[in-house]
Amino acid sequence: MRLPAQTGERIDRSTELSFRLGPWDVSGYAGDTIGSALFAGGRRVFSRSFKYHRPRGLLCCAGHCPNCLMTVDGVPNVRVCVEPLREGAVVEPQNVLGKLDFDLLRVVDKVGGPFTPVGFYYRTMIRPRRMWPLYEKFLRNVAGLGKLDEHAGHTRRYDVEHKKARVLVVGGGRAGRAAALEAASQGPGVVLVDESDRLLRSELAGVEVLAPARALGIWEGNLVPVDCGTVLYRFRAERVVVATGTIEQPLVFPGNDLVGTMFPRAVRRLIRDFSLQPGQRAVVLATDERGLEAADDLGEAGVAVERVVDLRESPLRRIEAQARAGRVRGVLLDDDVVECDLLVASGGRQPAYSLLAQAGGLVEFDPDLGVLVPTEHPPGVEAVGSVTGEGLEKVDPLPSYHGRGKCFVCVCEDVTTKDVKRAITEGFDSIELAKRYTTVTMGPCQGKLCQLPSVRLYAQERRVYETDIGSTTARPPWAPVELGLLAGRHLEPTRRTSLHFRHEETGARMMWAGPWRRPYAYSDYPEQEVRAVHESLGVIDVSTLGKLLVEGPEAAALLERLYPNRFGDMKPGRIRYGVLTTDGGRIMDDGTVARLSDDLYYVTTTSTGSDAVTAWFEWWNAVWGYDADIVNVTGALAALNLAGPRAREALERLTEDDVSAEALKYLDAREVEVVGVPCLTLRIGFVGELGYELHFPSPAGEHVWDRLVAEGAVPFGLEPQRVLRLEKGHVIVGQDTDSESNLLSAGMSWLPKLDKDDFVGKSAVELFAEREERELLVGFRMEENVVPPEGAQVVIEGYPAGRVTSARRSDEVGAIIGLAWVPSDRAEDGTRFEIRVERQLRGARVTHGAFFDPAGERMRS
Amino acid sequence: MKDIFVPRRMWRPRGELKRRYDVVVVGGGSHGLATAYYLAQRHGVKDVCILEKSYIGSGASGRNTTIIRANYRTPEGAEFYGQSVRLYEKLSQKLGFNLMFSQRGHLTLAHSDRALVTMQERAEVNKLLGVNSSVIGPAEIEALCPQLDVSERPTWPIMGALYHPPGGIIRHDAVVWAFARAADELGVDIHPYTEVTGFERANGRVTAVETNRGRVECGQVVSATAGWSTLIAGMAGLRLPITTHILQAFVTEPLKPFLDVVIVSSQLHVYVSQTDRGEFLIGAEIEPYTTYCGTGTLSFLEISARHSIELFPQLERAKVLRTWTGLCDLSPDYSPILGRTEVDNFHVSSGWGTYGFKAAPIVGVTLAELVATGKTPDLIAPFALERFHTDTLVSELAAAAVSH
Repeated sequence: MRLPAQTGERIDRSTELSFRLGPWDVSGYAGDTIGSALFAGGRRVFSRSFKYHRPRGLLCCAGHCPNCLMTVDGVPNVRVCVEPLREGAVVEPQNVLGKLDFDLLRVVDKVGGPFTPVGFYYRTMIRPRRMWPLYEKFLRNVAGLGKLDEHAGHTRRYDVEHKKARVLVVGGGRAGRAAALEAASQGPGVVLVDESDRLLRSELAGVEVLAPARALGIWEGNLVPVDCGTVLYRFRAERVVVATGTIEQPLVFPGNDLVGTMFPRAVRRLIRDFSLQPGQRAVVLATDERGLEAADDLGEAGVAVERVVDLRESPLRRIEAQARAGRVRGVLLDDDVVECDLLVASGGRQPAYSLLAQAGGLVEFDPDLGVLVPTEHPPGVEAVGSVTGEGLEKVDPLPSYHGRGKCFVCVCEDVTTKDVKRAITEGFDSIELAKRYTTVTMGPCQGKLCQLPSVRLYAQERRVYETDIGSTTARPPWAPVELGLLAGRHLEPTRRTSLHFRHEETGARMMWAGPWRRPYAYSDYPEQEVRAVHESLGVIDVSTLGKLLVEGPEAAALLERLYPNRFGDMKPGRIRYGVLTTDGGRIMDDGTVARLSDDLYYVTTTSTGSDAVTAWFEWWNAVWGYDADIVNVTGALAALNLAGPRAREALERLTEDDVSAEALKYLDAREVEVVGVPCLTLRIGFVGELGYELHFPSPAGEHVWDRLVAEGAVPFGLEPQRVLRLEKGHVIVGQDTDSESNLLSAGMSWLPKLDKDDFVGKSAVELFAEREERELLVGFRMEENVVPPEGAQVVIEGYPAGRVTSARRSDEVGAIIGLAWVPSDRAEDGTRFEIRVERQLRGARVTHGAFFDPAGERMRS
Repeated sequence: MKDIFVPRRMWRPRGELKRRYDVVVVGGGSHGLATAYYLAQRHGVKDVCILEKSYIGSGASGRNTTIIRANYRTPEGAEFYGQSVRLYEKLSQKLGFNLMFSQRGHLTLAHSDRALVTMQERAEVNKLLGVNSSVIGPAEIEALCPQLDVSERPTWPIMGALYHPPGGIIRHDAVVWAFARAADELGVDIHPYTEVTGFERANGRVTAVETNRGRVECGQVVSATAGWSTLIAGMAGLRLPITTHILQAFVTEPLKPFLDVVIVSSQLHVYVSQTDRGEFLIGAEIEPYTTYCGTGTLSFLEISARHSIELFPQLERAKVLRTWTGLCDLSPDYSPILGRTEVDNFHVSSGWGTYGFKAAPIVGVTLAELVATGKTPDLIAPFALERFHTDTLVSELAAAAVSH
């Protein structure tokens, strides 16, 4: 039933909205919250508590407490007291077995008390060990609050917007508005964020108002994310002004959680905003003026106020709310029972300091006010209004009142005063320890309602001052926030080459290779692509290779010092293989280095290594201060490797330049115009056949590719390339090597030039040269027709002694071949060792040198 | 069980610092407490104290994501953590405190064929060392975790997983408290809010520990101070090859449990589990830079939210309740630095990166043995600080550029 129209009421009685509560149709008015509409419809029990399944009703009406958590349109844990009502909403109770008004798990409350004190689960269910999974299954069945649809997909679209503010004011109360107006008088760039939508924007000229919206935290550099529902504003503010006001605190007495117990401001909101009568007969227990105001509010709403107790003047020792079916039916005040159905009680107001504390501010108990106040603010952050403690009266209720029944310090987690006392008796004597043991302040309110009461109780029980207790660390976010909102638009970056769609059209099976999408093979028979390269001509898209230009008078000096091998003595137009080593002398990345002119080098890296190598080059260049510039041209250039015995003949038909064996020798780099596109042509042989790597501007990718294919080049993917390179014994960095592999152990002892003055990792490589390696990377052939999976273990006397890093069947070699790390005393050519494949040991023999064309005649031809 | 009806003190109230202890353990976390416990329990060394600058379990022990597993890549690692898991399995009964160790299975997802190879390698090493782990395909993953999207829809489809049935989660604080209670019962003195400020040294040994509550002479010192290990070692005149980074995690509001297994994706840098209270507990990679600043970052929340939803789109409307940071000591090879140092009687348990909590009981057993007998147990010999002088590292990293 509604009261007659109140001045300033927020409901629009002309617009009725209907929604559902479980199976029932209910209605409310526009302007209602779901909570107020349900209350108007007579609902008093809104939820069941976390542990004892006690009925809970509206308590704070401010979105702080857990009492009105319900599932709305499938979204669990919605605080319906502040959730605007919308037509057709589907509201469901949660954490209930049976009905909201009759929860079968209520039995826990009735009989569980003595058996389930705080931390009971640490003391029980220990033996027999095998039973624990069963116990746990039961615990998990009753745990949790709301229920998620386990199989739901994405349902909402979220966005993120980056914004700047000169002054960002959090909180639109009196102090916040004044601070915003004051700042606005000095210039633009003032933003005010408020959780409610009641602000009169007209009164805030020159201020950008975001409401309803919620500042989630203050991170370094005054980064303040603001939750606006489906948009997250990421504010960078020069100044942040926190004006978050205060939060009403519960009074701690037995039965303080019963349905019908409310905070003074909750009563005011129900009456003034929603024209609801919070009860028929009320008792008001006040510790400050605000609490007393509730009596006036109730009077105006026609509620019979049976008793008003100002605890400052007439202190009580005993307060005990009495219940019928979980609802308040009266209250015992010392020896006096007063019948009522509404008990308005508060333990004062606590400054809402969380934002300040999360950002690194200090919080201390103020004995003059009886609450925790922020004392030191983080840099660039200010606080105004009651959040600083300004204007608060001293409140000094008892930490807990006597009486029978459960007396809650924390309604989120159902922690009673008995639990806290017990924790102290057991030795959990610091508030942080007790938090972890009792879970006080760890529930959905994040300590908003239980920090202060627990500090008071702690001080009393330990017989010390509140100032000595401290408080638990405040952790962001200020209020719970949806994962979807934090995630923003759902984008996972993917790198594609300029030929990506050509590959798809050709029927390639695409796969991930680091951040890139690459063709695995173009059919189900990669071996056919291998054969094409060996017998005729193939082409592979290698645009994913990292490509760097290193230019400048000291480019040569830079590369000399970065790489273990030599690049300064190269003639322009020549190419050399290079391996980068870390400070520790480990293999980091590899690729080719072509000298294009005295001052210009073209460096390729592995496909996944380009960013790291660029950063590495830039880092060292900055350290050494060489006159050389580094430009990453990976995305700008496409690269194709044309390989096979017919490669030269095909290239000759597509260019007018001289690409004869004499003009473009093995390891030569030249610019060649291919089908009208100037291509940097590198003659190298990763796949072991005569080959040309063409590097040219990405936009011409499809044009060049199509013409090569028209010349009979068979597209081949990553899988055939892996087979081809394995036949040559070529190492893939990151696959055949790991973070411990070095040039010597990986069989490239010819590469480092230890007579160079310096290179990154030189001292480590020198050390390696003096000692014997523990393990070496070798080629092997299987004795049987079994392909060991990559990662299979080399086993000696039942113990892992090495591992297979690559293995494939090679038709060309006519064997199953691979690369493996083996102990150095088993690395001689022809040594037999065993690999574990599907629980069986299979023999393999070490094979030195390339499996295919060991002299390299084909790639040099 | 009887403790249910009659509250019993877990440990004695903090007493005065004695003038001397045979063994001073710096750090009241799971490693320090376990070491003290096993010193007293297995070796009869009871003149032991724990110096903790805050409350017990206030550091990494109370900030980790409670995952226990043994499916490591190196034989040394798998063997070591394998023993740790076996100790954890019986620890509740041994210490008489329910640590709620639920071995509901641990899945490390592979989203690329490279990752699958790494899984294969780990599985093979594990099997040889008696650690139960195997590579499974999408169908088996779906059977274990029907809520996971194993279709081709995600940007990074799930290609397989390393399945480790004994892996799971535990109540981390309970581990700390149970060790503390047991150590206290055996006479170990626990001194919370006692900060070490320096060491007195003579002849290459530590002779006394200086604290904000006074000076304590010592026979031997064990430093088990994840996050601060370089600072404590520095006071003893020792340099450790360790960098300190923050690692962040968050929990959601409690939801009715539906995720039983632990899901890890190194591609997406998240690990997801659901606690017995119903909260989803989600952690990420360490931050790449060195810092002691505990306020955390917003980008962590954003990135891990995005990645969690990539795996579990049904979490889109779940709400983040609380986020926190912890400190991780990173060694160059991602393996711990455990045992003796150049300072004769100064022992360390450090360099644990993100793996420290998983090793608590076995660290306690081995370090206690080392301190009591003076001999380094074979199990931890590969993790000696000396390996950085001889360059015999134990690499948990698969490739130089790829972290765990």
